[in-house]
Amino acid sequence: MAVRPYWKGYLKLSLVTCPVAMSPATSESEKVRFHTLSRKSGNRVVSHYVDSVTGKEVGEEDEVKGYEKGEDHYVMLEDEELEAVALESTRTIDIDVFVARDSIEWVWLETPYYLTPNDKVGEEAFAVIRDAMEADKVVGVSRLVMGRRERAVLLEPRGKGIVVWTLRYGDEVREESSYFADMKGETSDASLMPLIQQVIKGQLKPWSPDMVADPVQASLLDIIAAKKNALKKKPAKGKSKGKATDEPVKDNVIDIMSALRKSLESKRPS
Amino acid sequence: MAARAVWKGFLKFGEVTCPVGMYTAASSSERVSFNTLNRKTGNRVRREFIDGETGKPVERDDQVKGYEIENGEYLVLEPEEIAAVVPESDKTLRVQAYIPCMDIDSVYFDKPYYLTPDRMGREAFVLIRDGLRKSKTAAIAQSVLFRRMRTVLVRPHGDGLIATTLNFDYEVRNSIEAFEDVPELKIEGEMLSLAKHIIGTKKGTFDPRTFDDRYDAALAELVKAKMEGKALPKRKAVKVEKVNDLMEALRMSAGVKEDKASSKGETAKAAARKTARSTKPAPKPFSTPQRMAS
Repeated sequence: MAVRPYWKGYLKLSLVTCPVAMSPATSESEKVRFHTLSRKSGNRVVSHYVDSVTGKEVGEEDEVKGYEKGEDHYVMLEDEELEAVALESTRTIDIDVFVARDSIEWVWLETPYYLTPNDKVGEEAFAVIRDAMEADKVVGVSRLVMGRRERAVLLEPRGKGIVVWTLRYGDEVREESSYFADMKGETSDASLMPLIQQVIKGQLKPWSPDMVADPVQASLLDIIAAKKNALKKKPAKGKSKGKATDEPVKDNVIDIMSALRKSLESKRPS
Repeated sequence: MAARAVWKGFLKFGEVTCPVGMYTAASSSERVSFNTLNRKTGNRVRREFIDGETGKPVERDDQVKGYEIENGEYLVLEPEEIAAVVPESDKTLRVQAYIPCMDIDSVYFDKPYYLTPDRMGREAFVLIRDGLRKSKTAAIAQSVLFRRMRTVLVRPHGDGLIATTLNFDYEVRNSIEAFEDVPELKIEGEMLSLAKHIIGTKKGTFDPRTFDDRYDAALAELVKAKMEGKALPKRKAVKVEKVNDLMEALRMSAGVKEDKASSKGETAKAAARKTARSTKPAPKPFSTPQRMAS
C-alpha cells in the first residue's frame, strides 16, 4: 500500500510567503474493506520488520534510515538530521515559472494533492497567488521534495484552493512517436466526418462521478450478504473464526457466482 | 517498436469496431535514497507477515481476505470467489458516452496508455481520433482491464490516442469538500494587478524532461558532512509576512522583478540552478533554528 505524505510547509511567490497544508486527493480506500487473515487460525495477519540477518523483530524505536555509501556500508541518519538537507524545496514550494495551462500534457501528471492555507496569517497571500493564476489562466511550476525525492510539481487554481500535481520524471514517460509512427500522415475520410460528429453529439453527456462507479464492489457486497444469510441458517457450532470454509457454504457460493455472472451479463450495455 | 502491448482488444464506438493494442505510456520508477536499518545491528530490515495472536509467520498462500461482520467475526472470501465477481473480459473497450474536454476532471486520472490500431483498424482509428479532436470531446469507455472493471478516458494525443484509466468515485476526494474551510476572500485592485505583474515576469515554458532531482546530490553532501564530523547546517526559519505587510511584499516583489529584466521566459531549470546555488550549505551552522509552524 502506497504511503502518501500529509505535508505542511510554505507556498512562496517571490517575496510573498504563506503557510500551507497538503493532503492527497485520492485514497486507496475500498468500498468493501477486507482484512487479511491466516487461513489456519482465522486470526488477523499483521506485519512487522525483522532484521534481515538475525530474523529477530525490530521495534519501531530501532528503525533508522540508512544511506548506502558502498557495498553493504550504510550511514545511519536521524530524521532531524535529514531536515538539514540543503534544499529549500523540502519545506517550501517556491514557484519558479508560470506556463499556459495546456502547455503541459496530461500524460505528465502523476498524483494530485489538495493545497490549502494552514494559518490565518497567510490566508490572504494564498488567495492572491491563487486568483492571479486563475485570472491569467496559467499554472505554476515548482520543486518539492516528497517521498525522499525532489519532484517537479504543477500548481493549478481550483475553486477556493489549489491542486498540486507531482509531474513524472523525464525517463518515466515513453516517447510517443515510436508508438504512433504508423499513424503519421494518416488522415480521416472527410465524407465520414459529419457522421462521426453526429454519433458523438448523440452520446454527448456532462461529466458525472457515476461514470466511475465500481459494479464489482456492489457484487462483492452481494456475495457477503448471501454468505451471512447462509451462516445464519446453519446450526451454530461456536464462535470460532474462519467458519466460512465449511462445505454447505461453499455450495451456496457456487450458485451465487453463476447468478452474479448472469446478472452482470445482462447489465452490460450493448 | 519493441514494447509489448499490456492489453489487446477492440475499441467500439457505436457499431464501429477497431482492433487496438494498449501500451504503457508512463511508469513510476522506484528510486531508493535510503534503506531502513536495525539501529542495534546496522543490518537492513525486511517486512514479515505474522499471525496477530500467535506471532508466527504466515505464508502468502495461507493469507485470505476476511470481511468483518461482527466484533471479531470474519467472513472468509477465497481468492477464486473474489476473482469470480469480476466479469469475463470480452476484450472490448466500449464507448459509453462523450464528454466535453472542458468538463474533464483530471483529479480522476490514474494511468495513461498509448492506443494504437492494427493495420485493419487504421481507418476507424483516425476517424475517431479526428472526430474527437474536431468536437473537442473525449470518449468514456469501459472494459475489464487487468482483472478489474475500469472506466477509461480516450482522447487524441499527437497522431494517436491515449487511454487513461480513471479512479473509482470512492477513491477520489471531492475538491469542493476539501476546500470547504478555505475562507471566501476576493482579491481585487492593486493586490491582484501586482500579483499578475509578478506572474508576468515569471512567464515561460517548462519541459518536464529537463527536470533534475537534486535530492540524492544534496543527501550525499549531508552524509559527507556527517562522516567528516562537520556540524550539519540548521534550517533557516521561513519568514511569513503579517497581513498588513502583504501589500508591501507584493510591491517589493514586483519592484524587484522589474530590475531583473532577464528573468522573462526563464525555464524552470535555470531558475532551479539559481535556487541550488543559494541553498548550498554554509560552512558554519546557521543561527538558532526556529521551529516551523506545524
